[in-house]
Amino acid sequence: MSDKKIKFLVLIVCCMFLTGCTDFVSKEKTQKEQELINLEDIPDYMGEPYVELNGNKPEFSESDFTEESFEIYSDLDQLDRCGTAYANVGTDLMPVEERGSIGKIKPSGWHTVKYDNVDGKYLYNRCHLIGYQLSGENANEKNLITGTRYMNVDGMLPFENMVADYVKETGNHVLYRVTPVFEGDDLLAKGVQMEAMSVEDKGQGVFFHVFIYNVQPGISIDYATGESSLDKQDFNKSSLADEQVEIRGNSRSKIYHCPGQAAYEEMEDSKYLVIFSSEQEAENAGYRKAKR
Amino acid sequence: MILIVCIDDRKGMMFNQRRQSQDKILREDMINQCRNGKLYMNEYSFSMFGECTDAVIIAAEDFLNQAGENDYCFVENQEISGYLVDINKIILYHWNRRYPADTYFNIDVTDGNWKRETSEIFTGSSHDKITREVYKKIK
Repeated sequence: MSDKKIKFLVLIVCCMFLTGCTDFVSKEKTQKEQELINLEDIPDYMGEPYVELNGNKPEFSESDFTEESFEIYSDLDQLDRCGTAYANVGTDLMPVEERGSIGKIKPSGWHTVKYDNVDGKYLYNRCHLIGYQLSGENANEKNLITGTRYMNVDGMLPFENMVADYVKETGNHVLYRVTPVFEGDDLLAKGVQMEAMSVEDKGQGVFFHVFIYNVQPGISIDYATGESSLDKQDFNKSSLADEQVEIRGNSRSKIYHCPGQAAYEEMEDSKYLVIFSSEQEAENAGYRKAKR
Repeated sequence: MILIVCIDDRKGMMFNQRRQSQDKILREDMINQCRNGKLYMNEYSFSMFGECTDAVIIAAEDFLNQAGENDYCFVENQEISGYLVDINKIILYHWNRRYPADTYFNIDVTDGNWKRETSEIFTGSSHDKITREVYKKIK
């Protein structure tokens, strides 16, 4: 056998070995048991959107540090709840397109409800565990939980921004893990545990470990179901808007359907479903109302 | 001295002893702003300026004590309350984003002691909109 052939065979064997190793590492990460935090150790919400955990030190395994990007999402549990989402965020994971629609995902505990004292009115957002700006994941049900506007914008987004800027500016990676924390069989998470650590500089750039509360100031929430109500002391200051129903649009026909109309129920499972919060919103998007 | 600081929407500067953000274009802009004087900073900040090889930057831990009246001081993780009387001008960069923070910029430029001379917006390398404001001490 010539030297060239031997070198080629060695190369093939090395590739097979490396591929096998990659699968093994990914599998190990997927199956990694995330140490759950005890909600009893988390202080009650006191006006700040987050508290630091473990002295703000993340708890990643040494073996997880790699300069290859990855993203892993837990399967939904028997109550259709999300588990840990884990990524090694690099520029190659980041989106190059505008975010798509995520309206067809109904995370556990989801309710479409509006209050006058909530920024943007809607109490709940579909919150990405790994933010869209980090991983480019759109309508991935394993990456979307029901979260308050406050948790999404005041709690999670600033941390995502910090990680995104660092990765874009340095080209480095950041280990990033977000775990929704549920109590018992609650459908709504009490909050999310967020950990991050920059890889190449061993945490000099990004390094945090926090719990972000899934609360909304002025609103009481039943975490078992996601039902909500105005805080009693705020009841006289702000009126509760009626629970909103969905307007279901068909992105192919550009027709929207209201509750009670003929095709409204059928549209729920349509791949062309686009959800609007009002008829006005649908019309502004160029849709017209179904005739029956 | 002329103070240079970067802040987020809530006047935050640092979180867990790390800077909130950074931007290559902002660094170039900062160098350009300091063409007529010396630019001082500490080693932590200086480690970001590797690509600015033609800039004259003086890195020292006690740079706030070294800087003269017309020198520029880029501050990220240092206490400045003891140097208020020495600051005659402030260049304030706004990220126009929100980050976690536990260290804040504690000079109130709206307290009547400062006059805004300029305000300019530019696009950074990873920030859509960065605002540079220059304030001059009037009292």
